[in-house]
Amino acid sequence: MELPVINETPAASAGGCSSHSCGTSDDQLGHLSDEIRSKVENHPCYSEDAHHYFARMHVAVAPACNIQCHYCNRKYDCSNESRPGVVSELLTPDQAVKKTMAVAANIPQMTVLGIAGPGDPLANPERTFETFRRLSAEAPDIKLCVSTNGLALPESVEELSKHNIDHVTITINCVDPEIGAQIYPWIFWENKRIKGVKGAKILIEQQQKGLEMLAAKGILVKVNSVMIPGVNDKHLAEVSKIVKAKGAFLHNVMPLIAEAEHGTFYGVMGQRGPTQDELMDLQDSCSGDMNMMRHCRQCRADAVGLLGEDRGDEFTMDKIEAMEIDYQSAMEKRKVIHEAIAEEMHSKRAAKVEKAASHADEPKLNTRPVLMAIATSGQGVINMHFGHAKEFLIYEASPNGVRFMSHRKTDLYCGGDDTCGDGESVLQQTIRSLAGCEAVLCSKIGYEPWDLLEKAGIVPNGEHAMEPIEEAVMAVYKEMAAAGKLDEAAPQEERATA
Amino acid sequence: MALQIIESCVNCYACEPLCPSKAIYMSEKTGHFRINPKKCTECEGDFKDTQCASICPIEGAILDALGVPINPPGSLTGIPPERMAEAMAELQAH
Repeated sequence: MELPVINETPAASAGGCSSHSCGTSDDQLGHLSDEIRSKVENHPCYSEDAHHYFARMHVAVAPACNIQCHYCNRKYDCSNESRPGVVSELLTPDQAVKKTMAVAANIPQMTVLGIAGPGDPLANPERTFETFRRLSAEAPDIKLCVSTNGLALPESVEELSKHNIDHVTITINCVDPEIGAQIYPWIFWENKRIKGVKGAKILIEQQQKGLEMLAAKGILVKVNSVMIPGVNDKHLAEVSKIVKAKGAFLHNVMPLIAEAEHGTFYGVMGQRGPTQDELMDLQDSCSGDMNMMRHCRQCRADAVGLLGEDRGDEFTMDKIEAMEIDYQSAMEKRKVIHEAIAEEMHSKRAAKVEKAASHADEPKLNTRPVLMAIATSGQGVINMHFGHAKEFLIYEASPNGVRFMSHRKTDLYCGGDDTCGDGESVLQQTIRSLAGCEAVLCSKIGYEPWDLLEKAGIVPNGEHAMEPIEEAVMAVYKEMAAAGKLDEAAPQEERATA
Repeated sequence: MALQIIESCVNCYACEPLCPSKAIYMSEKTGHFRINPKKCTECEGDFKDTQCASICPIEGAILDALGVPINPPGSLTGIPPERMAEAMAELQAH
C-alpha cells in the first residue's frame, strides 16, 4: 500500500494549515494569491521546495547597528564561524554590486540577493539603498530582500517599496517589553541610548508598525524569532498569532546559538539554547496559527550558495576583481536555467500529487511516527555520500505521510579542523547529531560509519540513491512497518538533547 | 575638550554619520575610526548626550576628555566584568 505525501495534499482549511502540513510547500501556501505564490516559488528562504534548487547570497554592506541583542557580539569575526551577524569582509556598495553580478554569472541558480548585516541594514540606509538602487538597474533578474530588527523600519518602508524589494524579514523576539528587556539591553533612539523596558517598548512598537506598513504595501513579510529557553519560549506562540494577524505570512523560529567563546551575553552567562525536541515542539505549537519555516540555516551575513552551503571563499574581492563579467549574456543563460528548474519542480510536484491521488483509497497504517535523516545536495533527491554531508535534512514519516521537520548540521556551528573543539571525531559528532533518527538515507556509505550507525540504533540505507526524498522516506517507513519494527516503542532515551 | 576613539574600535561606522561636527574619520594610519580633536565639540549645543558614545556598541572604545571610558566594562552588554573574566579564564584553560 502507498501513503500520500502530506505536503502535497490540499490544505485542510483556507485559513491556515493543519499541524501536519507546515513546511512551506506550495499547497500549504494554497490560501495565498497567485501573485504571492509566484513571488516565493524561486526564493530559497521563503519556500521549502525552492531551497532544494535555488541559491541565495548576502552582501555585507551594513556594519552599523542601532540596538544590542544579547545573542550578538559586535566584536566577533571568525572565518570558521557560521551564524548570523558574522562576516569576513565588509563591502562598499560598489564592491557588493560587483560581487553579486560575479556570483550570479557563476552560480546561475542564485536568484536572491539579501542584505542582512552584519549590523542592521536599515541603520545603514545610504549603503543599503545605494546597493539596492544599483542592483535594480544593473541586475534586474535578481530578487532583492532585506532583514531588519525593525527599529528603523517605519521610516524606511517608502524607500524599500521603490526598489523592487518583494521580501522583508523582521526579527521579532517578543511583543512584551518586560520580556524584551531580557533580550535587548539597549536601543539607540532619537539621539539617545535607551536601556531596559523603555527601549524594548519602543523597539516592539516600531517592529509592529513597520510590519503593518509593509503588509499594507503588499510586501511579503517573514518574521524571524530566536527561541531562548526560559526567556521567550512560552511567549512565541502568542508572537506567532499576532504577527500573522498583522499580515506576516511566514514565521521562522530559530534556536538560540550561545557559546561562551562567542563572547555574547547569553554565551558568557551560560544561557542554553533549545534542544531539537523543544524547537520542534514549539514550531508545531505555532503551526496551527501560522506557516512555519523549518529549513532556515541561520546563515552568515555574507553567505553565498544553496542554503546549508557557503561558497563565499570563491568570491572574495580579490578574486572578483580578476573576473570579467558580461552580465547581459549571463542573464540570458540564467533565464534558460531558471526556466528549466521551474519546469523540473513543476513536473516533480505534479508527479507526486498524481501518485498520492492514485493511492488515496488504500488502507491507512496505524503505526508510530519515525524520524529519518537524509543526505542531499539539492534537487529534492537523495544524492549525497554519507561522509560528505555537512548537514542532514530530517523528515518525519507517519501514517499521515512524510513531512520535513528540520536540518541538523554535522559540524554544529564550527567549521574548524580536528584540533578545534573537544577532540571528538567528526564521525562521532555526526552520529551524535542524528540522535532521535532511526534511519539515515544517503547515496553511499562506508563500512566504518555503517557499523557505528548501527551500534547507535540508526539504520543506514543506501538503496534509494537518486530517488525523490519523500518517496524514499515513505518506502523505508513501510519496510519498517512490514518488518514489525514499528511495533516496538521509539528509542526515547536516544532522542536529541543537543 | 574632545572625545577619543581608541584601537578597540571595530569599524562599525555607526558613529560616523551621527557626529554633528563631522569630527569622525577613518584613519589610514591606525585602520580604525578616530576623532579629530580640533573639530569635536562633545556635541555641546547640538545634543544632550555625546552621539558617538551613545551608539557605540564596544565598551571602552570611546574615552572622554579625561581619558576615562564613557561606556565602562559591563555597561553595554550587561555582562558583569568578573563573570566575563571567569568565562575567558575557563576558555583559556581548555
